[in-house]
Amino acid sequence: MISVRGLTKRYGGVRAVDDLTFDVVPGKVTGFLGPNGAGRSTTMRVVMGLDRPTAGTATVGGRRYDEIAAPLREVGALLDADAMHPGRTGRAHLRLAALSNGIPRTRVDDVIDQVGLGPAARRRVKGYSLGMRQRLGIAAALLGDPRVLLFDEPMNGLDLDGVRWIRELLRGFAAEGRAVLVSSHLMSEVQMIADRVVVIGRGRLIADADVDDVLRGLGGPRVRVRTTCASDLERALADHAAVERTGPDELEVTGLDTAAVGDAAHAAGVPLHHLAEVEHSLERAYLSLTAGSADHQGRPTAASAGDGR
Amino acid sequence: MSTVRTVSATSAVLIARTCRAEWSRLWTVRSTWVFVGVTGFVVVGFAALLGAEASGPSGPPADATAWDAGRTTTMFALFGVLALSALATTADHTTGGIVPTLQWTPRRTVLLVARTTVVAATTTAVGVVLVTAASLVVLSFVPEVGAPIGEGVETLAAAGFVLAAGAALAVGLGLVTRSTAGALVSVVGLVLVLPFLLAQLSVRHDWLVDVAAALPGSSALFLVFGEGPSDDMTTSSARTTFTLWAVAALVAGGLRLLRSDADR
Repeated sequence: MISVRGLTKRYGGVRAVDDLTFDVVPGKVTGFLGPNGAGRSTTMRVVMGLDRPTAGTATVGGRRYDEIAAPLREVGALLDADAMHPGRTGRAHLRLAALSNGIPRTRVDDVIDQVGLGPAARRRVKGYSLGMRQRLGIAAALLGDPRVLLFDEPMNGLDLDGVRWIRELLRGFAAEGRAVLVSSHLMSEVQMIADRVVVIGRGRLIADADVDDVLRGLGGPRVRVRTTCASDLERALADHAAVERTGPDELEVTGLDTAAVGDAAHAAGVPLHHLAEVEHSLERAYLSLTAGSADHQGRPTAASAGDGR
Repeated sequence: MSTVRTVSATSAVLIARTCRAEWSRLWTVRSTWVFVGVTGFVVVGFAALLGAEASGPSGPPADATAWDAGRTTTMFALFGVLALSALATTADHTTGGIVPTLQWTPRRTVLLVARTTVVAATTTAVGVVLVTAASLVVLSFVPEVGAPIGEGVETLAAAGFVLAAGAALAVGLGLVTRSTAGALVSVVGLVLVLPFLLAQLSVRHDWLVDVAAALPGSSALFLVFGEGPSDDMTTSSARTTFTLWAVAALVAGGLRLLRSDADR
């Protein structure tokens, strides 16, 4: 398992990671979320021994990564799929990994098959699409059959089949008892595959919890309702729940279930065209958690600011 | 679950493995073959020209042996050795390949030892083979010049030292600069360009002689041809100077590899 304790990493005057503490436990997929520049990649680089922490520690199975003699047998990671020599073939790249960690050459063919790289493994990496590079990077991570896996944005550049494949792969690893840390900006993906989430913003820990708890933390049920008399319904509900106008004819109600909203509409004599519970999304939780901690926030354009949303 | 057996690796095993990986890393990219091929073509081709001229009507120079061609072509081989060593060392840093490399070999001392050993030993060996080949090519054109064994050992030993020290210097500068262009310019400048430039200027400025004599390139010239910018140079002073340069570059490069973040 991965233990990050009081980790701080400064680049010059910039605090990329600030006193970060969390664990990645076996048997679960831990999603690692945060806006761009939040320090996710930096954290993973420190865990993998690539960058030196300014303070704090990051260990895998109780040891610093650079203390492990044959690390591929214990930790597999895909950090940056573009970071490899473009002039080497995929197979040669994997053979280097096997040679340097004393892993039998037959494993190279195993993982090439496992990630579906097939005959492309004999071509040079410079001709690979981003998706193929991701697969090659994942193959290298799997080479030593490690107990701990880290993936930085593994779905980047993958097509729909690839995304489904990696989703099942990651779930499978966790089911086998491995510890899996996966960073992603695709909240819907993380919601689908992660058991836990670690959310950071500006290098600091924002949340470290089970996905279910994070979703529950958003408050009671949320109901979407459409009616031509939205203003009337809004007034009728205002005392009982939080009501948000999401469109000219649409409201979102937090704190009441569909039956209560329907009854209230009936009592107010408001005709309904749509009434349904809205599923909580991790994206929403994530946005509310990280509000104010994004480093680079775009301003709405004049057009979108003017349309009243 | 685990189908791969965990074995504990001693440092010796680790270094041996890493050396094998470095060897494979060197020869699985096309540029290595191109550099060796081009250097071989230039060295052997130049030797063939020398041989052809010596077998012409004017004949070989008096007292010439086949090893003269070896000494002359050592400087061509040196250029190839410097360039290949610099390129092989910096490729990981310019392509981002250092990220997977350090994931697979996180003990940087091990990587430093393996990389320096494999790159410098391989390029030196290639250089010595080419210099030997150049001498034999000339011998095949003009067998009468002969190739005395004693002189051959001396020539190849000098060439081997110069090529090895040059390769080590190039590896060190590659690790310091982490840039192919930076490493190439600095090592070629120190070894092949500056000594000649300073030799031109030193006619008017005496102190430049001392500067020139302290450069690794002057050591190379002295060790190969027995001539240098300063009359004070000896074989051992030239060897010491070149060794100090190589060691200093490796120490600086090693510290950069050991101490700083992987690719910043």
